[in-house]
Amino acid sequence: MSLLEVQNLRVTFDTETGPVQAVRGVSFSLGRERLGIVGESGSGKTMTGRSVLRLIRPPGRIAADRMVFDGQDLMRASERDMRALRGKRIGMVMQDPKYSLNPVMTVGEQLTEGLRRRDRIRGAEARAKAVAALEAVQIRDPDRVMAAYPHELSGGMGQRVMIAMMLIPEPDLLIADEPTSALDVTVQAEVLSILDALVRDRGMGLIFISHDLRLVGRFCDRVLVMFKGRVVEELEARRLTEARHPYTRGLLNCLPRIGGPREPLPGLDRSGDWAKEGAA
Amino acid sequence: MSTLRAWLTDPSPTSRRQARLGQSYLAWLRIRRNRLAMAGLVIVGLLLLVAAFAPLIAPHDPLVQDLSRRLLPPGTPGNLLGTDDFGRDILSRILYGARITLYIIALVAVTAPVLGLLIGTVAGYFGGWVDAVLMRITDIFLAFPRLILALALVAVLGPGIGNAVLAIALTAWPPYARIARAETLTVRNSDYIAAVRLQGAGAGRIIWGHIVPMCLPSVIIRVTLDMAGVILIAAGLGFLGLGVQPPMPEWGLMISSGRKFLFEQWWVATMPGLAIFLVSLGFNLLGDGLRDVLDPRSAGK
Amino acid sequence: MGLIEIENLSVTFRAKGREVRAVEGVSLTVGERESYGLVGESGSGKSTILRAICGMAPVTGGQIRIGGEALRMPRGPGFSRRVQMVFQDPYASLHPRHTIDRTLSEPLAIHRIGGSDAKVVKALTDVGLPASFRFRYPHQLSGGQRQRVAIARALMLEPSILLLDEPTSALDASVQAEVLNLLTRLREERGLTFLMVSHDLAVIDHMCDRVLVMQHGRAVEELARDDLAAARMTTAYARSLFEASADRMLDPAKAP
Repeated sequence: MSLLEVQNLRVTFDTETGPVQAVRGVSFSLGRERLGIVGESGSGKTMTGRSVLRLIRPPGRIAADRMVFDGQDLMRASERDMRALRGKRIGMVMQDPKYSLNPVMTVGEQLTEGLRRRDRIRGAEARAKAVAALEAVQIRDPDRVMAAYPHELSGGMGQRVMIAMMLIPEPDLLIADEPTSALDVTVQAEVLSILDALVRDRGMGLIFISHDLRLVGRFCDRVLVMFKGRVVEELEARRLTEARHPYTRGLLNCLPRIGGPREPLPGLDRSGDWAKEGAA
Repeated sequence: MSTLRAWLTDPSPTSRRQARLGQSYLAWLRIRRNRLAMAGLVIVGLLLLVAAFAPLIAPHDPLVQDLSRRLLPPGTPGNLLGTDDFGRDILSRILYGARITLYIIALVAVTAPVLGLLIGTVAGYFGGWVDAVLMRITDIFLAFPRLILALALVAVLGPGIGNAVLAIALTAWPPYARIARAETLTVRNSDYIAAVRLQGAGAGRIIWGHIVPMCLPSVIIRVTLDMAGVILIAAGLGFLGLGVQPPMPEWGLMISSGRKFLFEQWWVATMPGLAIFLVSLGFNLLGDGLRDVLDPRSAGK
Repeated sequence: MGLIEIENLSVTFRAKGREVRAVEGVSLTVGERESYGLVGESGSGKSTILRAICGMAPVTGGQIRIGGEALRMPRGPGFSRRVQMVFQDPYASLHPRHTIDRTLSEPLAIHRIGGSDAKVVKALTDVGLPASFRFRYPHQLSGGQRQRVAIARALMLEPSILLLDEPTSALDASVQAEVLNLLTRLREERGLTFLMVSHDLAVIDHMCDRVLVMQHGRAVEELARDDLAAARMTTAYARSLFEASADRMLDPAKAP
């Protein structure tokens, strides 16, 4: 049985100039696997991820024929039920740890806050769990990190802390929105291997949202390619090079390659029928 | 009308003027949606109209005394808001008083913020000892209670409307300098300033052409919100007899003269008080609305 | 002799009693009409070198020469007409309250160059933007269009050297391709010399003739383009950087 099922998801923003659709009928299902959602800015990939947690603020509206997480209907769930799901069963990692961690609390306080508040786990035990989570994301001296404030951490360290924080309640599904885009390539590889191990060892589902087609192709099992709020192509990640859709092909081809020819890079041709507003 | 609208909202303007007017039109659309701001704008607009047409609207000469008709209550035929202790029509005096209030506001609004902007942006842009010296001067001015400092200045320069304005302006600039400096510090290290510096622009061009436009919105908002305070200080100086001199119909002065019979003939002090209240409220509402419209953080889309 | 010569450059930032050595003893030479890349991870000091050339970083040692002349502080108008820079974030590098017209005509006004109307229109068409964009504000443009405006602005004074600080890292992949093609075309047409900073080895490889790999403010290794593509690096760090970019390699099956 699939962990998450989404059918015909739509996100609409009511603006002064009329309704704007950010997501136009996206459907997918997710098992205990790594699903990549790729697209350029404005493709609706972030909105899709946030919709699963119903984290779209007005004037945005979510509509879907079906959105079921582990047997629970997310469209009918009350705000209270959603709060119980968020963090606890569905975690989310954002792009920039700088804006997601509270700057005036130490990492330790932030890591144990949920445990203390939600699960009523007391001091030493909560701390032990937090340290274990930091060790799980390959932080070598968890005690120092526990006492540090977010600004004292490097970007890669901050992102690992974010992941650790999301892992403490042991969620069944993790939504990672550009979790490595702010990181250097070498650090990026480490963070990805941590995520990878978690999916394998804990049987967690992962939605990996990124603009980087190559990264997603290397890291995920399945890829959804989004363009202007629609899924234009869904394919196995290892068959990415066999992609058929002109948009996916364009995205693959427009990247410079080490050792590639010096001629102009092929631009993305947006003149095809698929790029028009009403295309299915 | 619709062609004008299309011209204003054209995404590709063909001249500088069209681009600027188009932006102003969008700002107007934003403020028009904010009801309280519109209420403030209406009040401020009324003040302008009343000041402009006071001689046409006012039923009486504000200075002519008629001792046979002194201290008449509101609603008396011919004196809608009653008369004061010299038999002058209070309504006419309030209407003419709008001119003096507006005069003070206008003078303060063109002097204090300009001085504050200049000092704040220069201090923020250059930093170092320039910043230290300018901001300590600002601190000294800020440390004085405003009314007391204004009083001291008027006491030295002598009472009168010009000196009152000068005193208010000299006490009103430090907050603007503070705001302008804070904005400058956030703007100073941005890439667009680096780019224009790299093109060889001098400090004057950078401050005036690039930094001041970024500070302007927050200063304008603050000016509007401060106008209520300026009216009150002007009224306070008038009330203490250090601002506008009798028999000029200034609102603060009118309250001061009505104080003697506050319990028997309440309207003499209350009517100009209501005028001050209404105009202050108008400026405050407008300022709040402008904050929503002009705030650079919300002006993105 | 190189057009840009940097010799033993050191940059040290002082903040609250702490010293941060952003660049330490870096030397490099860029020949005329050459395209030279600086690559490294964040904090490697690559962008600081560009800022040091522009006089926007505290140089504490070494020398920078342009065309054989040592640079003086302040840089002066002659420098502006020789060296210009394109910044990383097109959302931060254009003044939000100036029209494109104002942004592009400003350098001409500073240097008292006439004929600004015609020059602004020409600059826009040169970077592939319609002339009707002239009186728009930056928020009415997309990221790629803004970066084109930033490139047009840098070229207004007809400099011979363009410093490029991660010019495409804030852009979508398809827009990156367009901007890189634009830069390549402009370099050919105008005989420009590029000094380009990037964290993306593939972008550097596509654009540059030689690359300097940097780490922690120091130069690690200089590589010619062929050596980079053939993985002929001698230092461990350059190799690890290369291997982390493995997915940016040319697919051997599709090699021409």
